[in-house]
Amino acid sequence: MATEAEQNKMNDSLASDGNRGNSQGGSSKWLSAHFDPVASLYTFSSCMTFSDITGDGENRLVIADLGTGAHNMKLKIYKGTSLVNENTIIDLPTGVATFYMDTIEPRVPAVAVASGPYLYVYKNLRPYFKFTLPPLEVNPVEQDLWNQARDDKIDVTVLREMLDSIRREGTEGALTVRSLRFLMLPDRDQMEMFAQSYKHTPLKRQTVITCLATLKKSSAEDDAISCLVVGTECKEIYVLDPEAFTIQARMSVPSVPVFLRVTGLFDVEYRLVVSCRNGNIYTLKKGMKTGKLCVELTSQPVGVERIGKNIIAGCMDQTLQCYTIKGKKLWTVYLSDNIITMSVMDHKQKGFKAVMVALDNGDVQIYRDKYLIDTIKTDSAITGIQYGRFGREDCSLVLTTRKGGLLIKILKRNAVFEEKDFARGPPAAQNQRLNVPKKTKVFVDQTMRERENGVAMHRMFQHDLYRLRLNTAREYVKVLNSSMNPVSTNLAEPLKLSAQVQGIGPTFKMTVNLQNTSLSVPIMNTLISFLYDEKLYSLQKTMIPVPLLVPGLNYKFETLVECVNDKGISDVIKAFVVKEGATSPIITAVINMPVSETVVVA
Amino acid sequence: MPCQARLLETMDPLFVALNLFRRRKFEECVDVCTELLQKNPYDQSAWHLKMRALTEQVYVDEVEVDEEGIAEMMMDDNVIASVSRPGTSLKTPGTGQGAPSAGVRPMSQSGRPLSGFVRPGTQSGRPGTMEQAIRTPRTAHTARPVTSASGRFVRLGTASMLSTPDGPFINLARLNFAKYAAKPNLAKALFEYIFHHENDVRNALELASLATQACQFKDWWWKVQLGKCYYRLGLYRDAEKQFKSALVQQPMVDTYLYLCKVYVRLDQPLTAVEVFQQGLEKFPGETTLQTGIARVYEAMNDMSNAVKCYKDVLKHDSTHIEALACIASHHFYTDQPEIALRYYRRLLQMGVYSAELFNNLGLCCFYAQQYDMTLQSFERALSLSDNDLITADIWYNIGQVAMGIGDTGLAQQCFRLVLSANNDHAEGYNNLGVLELRKGHVDQARAFFQAAQGLAPHMFEAHYNFGALADQVGDLQSSYNAIKKSVEAYPDHADSKDLLMQLKKHFSVL
Repeated sequence: MATEAEQNKMNDSLASDGNRGNSQGGSSKWLSAHFDPVASLYTFSSCMTFSDITGDGENRLVIADLGTGAHNMKLKIYKGTSLVNENTIIDLPTGVATFYMDTIEPRVPAVAVASGPYLYVYKNLRPYFKFTLPPLEVNPVEQDLWNQARDDKIDVTVLREMLDSIRREGTEGALTVRSLRFLMLPDRDQMEMFAQSYKHTPLKRQTVITCLATLKKSSAEDDAISCLVVGTECKEIYVLDPEAFTIQARMSVPSVPVFLRVTGLFDVEYRLVVSCRNGNIYTLKKGMKTGKLCVELTSQPVGVERIGKNIIAGCMDQTLQCYTIKGKKLWTVYLSDNIITMSVMDHKQKGFKAVMVALDNGDVQIYRDKYLIDTIKTDSAITGIQYGRFGREDCSLVLTTRKGGLLIKILKRNAVFEEKDFARGPPAAQNQRLNVPKKTKVFVDQTMRERENGVAMHRMFQHDLYRLRLNTAREYVKVLNSSMNPVSTNLAEPLKLSAQVQGIGPTFKMTVNLQNTSLSVPIMNTLISFLYDEKLYSLQKTMIPVPLLVPGLNYKFETLVECVNDKGISDVIKAFVVKEGATSPIITAVINMPVSETVVVA
Repeated sequence: MPCQARLLETMDPLFVALNLFRRRKFEECVDVCTELLQKNPYDQSAWHLKMRALTEQVYVDEVEVDEEGIAEMMMDDNVIASVSRPGTSLKTPGTGQGAPSAGVRPMSQSGRPLSGFVRPGTQSGRPGTMEQAIRTPRTAHTARPVTSASGRFVRLGTASMLSTPDGPFINLARLNFAKYAAKPNLAKALFEYIFHHENDVRNALELASLATQACQFKDWWWKVQLGKCYYRLGLYRDAEKQFKSALVQQPMVDTYLYLCKVYVRLDQPLTAVEVFQQGLEKFPGETTLQTGIARVYEAMNDMSNAVKCYKDVLKHDSTHIEALACIASHHFYTDQPEIALRYYRRLLQMGVYSAELFNNLGLCCFYAQQYDMTLQSFERALSLSDNDLITADIWYNIGQVAMGIGDTGLAQQCFRLVLSANNDHAEGYNNLGVLELRKGHVDQARAFFQAAQGLAPHMFEAHYNFGALADQVGDLQSSYNAIKKSVEAYPDHADSKDLLMQLKKHFSVL
């Protein structure tokens, strides 16, 4: 029986291969519930979540849509396959989370959208609260500068110079947004206007939220109250109280946090895994003020997930790497293409967690530990992926494509994920036979001849070779004397000439490319001239003066050639590069002219 | 001689003209007919004979001469699927079986391996862009015509553009086609005159359609001519209908060939092969049909099938030059130069005596280790060559031999000679670059590789060499760009892929 199951598996994977390119096709373990290729969604995994936001027991899909990337940002709620609600967001969203903020019946979770320095909290699909990150300290010199500008003590140009010097001293984050914007302005008038309109408002330095997560407060139940965990551009991580929105804990990491994974309870013990922009992963426990270095990755992470005691990071070098929480490397899987995004698949019924990795070629691969257990093929790269309870279906998978499509798949109840790895054993190429041609009888005969007449053949060959060398040398000298080469052999003027003819006639454009191939010697006082049959062609410029030729650069010279003959004949045109005053050219290019076609057509 | 002249004077002039026509002395025949027509302008037989003589002067075999023009290719309105299934299209080469890889057998601009036999249409396949199409070295020998409606037909076939001193023989604009269409004996000659001599397809089509009506659509010949006209005008589906209908009435080899040409132009190579097979059922052992199948397979890069068909051709016609040449080149590129040598020798025995053949013989001798004959063959090839392009190729091959025996000085001279003979010889530039690199002249080498890249974007060697060089000197960005082009030109090149992977790793590492 086991072998038969194996057989079926093989067939399945083959069948899914055959379905490639068909967006509805793919793995047989999934039912394709919905596919909308024109949902016009522009979103990422961090901006998608499932939540029972009305409290009726049916999960909605919450997506923060980035719109066009500049405007038209929306918070979209899908019920089943239809869009039920849209809320406009003012700035680009960076993350979405849902959490229970109180114990009031009926239990309705809130939706938090991180955007710029703000956290917008929605409840019952209505705006409920806006949390602003605490302002940072303004650089005293900058503050002083703006104060002086307000009192008209300094000019905008002076202000600009001084601000620029601050920017150069520190990082860009050291300045306020207002100063940075001011530095970006191109001319004095605009600077003047900008300073006029903003100099009276007090100076504030704000930071931006980079990542968002939730952390259960005191009990681990599904509908327990959660705190929000926020990572910011100023390298800090805040834990927010869900009711009062006060900062309960404040931690810092050595670089800007990008991915945030949280486990534990806030009141008991918790652990944060933070992947930062410098490619390192840090861990934080309750009570710690600064992050402890856990892993130094070899390549920038594209996604970081935590499964059990392990950290799984997908990196830009097409690898999936697994580390323990202590930072010990367990395994690495090399993938077939670049990772776009990744997410956790928490299969509660079967009791396992797997990592879903979306690749650039449109595949979504599911890894349980280091074993590939399933592949879903789609026809566009997946940018957002989320697995969870959607509607009343526990095992739903929502995918958004780079082209803006929305795919919803449901895991079949009877789907069995094999623990085994498909890609085991020697690679398929090893079993391929090399196409080595057989030694023919003729070959054997010729070898016999060679063996018998070896000496004579060798003498003959050497004799011919001497003669050939002589003949070649003669030809070569002839070519050198007439400078017929397009590449100069003279070390004093190392030049390369190539010419192209474009057009279909009777007027052609001839492009002559000239390159000085020497390392450091510029070439001066050269001219380009042409030799042609005047009965056939007339040239716009019969002589082109060449400027100083800098080594290594390619110079283009153009002239128009008109074919004055209507008989459909073509000839060659010779292009010479000559030194002023010299009688023989340095190099020559022979240009085979095409037949003038329009004469023929007319 | 004077005796003969007197004899001609005493004979009936029309008989003399007929005799001259039979002896293929067309110009003299035309002169005699002109005299006859001056005496009696309504002499139908003289008129008829003059038309035929004029046509014969410029007659070309319509089946063979066909080159897809730039306009047809770039503005193709018959394309249905831009991405066709592998093995069903002539436009996506590189999907064949049994063909040696690009590393062994050089590619042409369109990505197809070079054929063993040059004929119109061996440069088929589409270039990627208009610029590429226009930029390919366009000389009178190798150019693609702008449209097949002009181009080669005019160059080879017609006299219409060479002005005749006393005006055209027949003024087509004043001809009453309906009158002549009703006279079957005159109409056919008139049609051929209009089609071949005047190259006026539109009027020819009008005459043909009137004539086929006049004979109640019962004459297959007119249907074939209608098909030819439609084909020239680019109305392939109409041409297909006419040819098929003609075949139902009267199966002819020519008609099968025309029909297949239509299918090849419609990019349906499999259908073309099927039609060839049907033709072979009617005309077993017909070599033109078998050659047709082989050419289609060759164009699809399916070399094993193509060689099989060429071998079938040889069974029926053991002196078929195209078949011999193609089989020979296939054997050469599949590592059996000794067999190729046999085939080329056969060609030599048959009396083919050209620079190309000696060039190939020399190369085969060298790789089959028959060193005593190698250099002599090349020398003979050089002395026979009357064309700079061929001379360049011969010097290139001598350069290869020089590389093979390790004489880089000689090789360098040879490759320089290649460039002086043909300024656009990309392979020559590439090899010169390699030689310069061996001497450590990095800048010279780079210039050569760049020139080769510009001249032949389809050639992966120059891209790879440039990429490897740029990688060595630390210019990773240029290296990456060049290697990407190399992989695009030849996706299975292991060294390029390795270097690309190395570069990617380098870029993604922290």
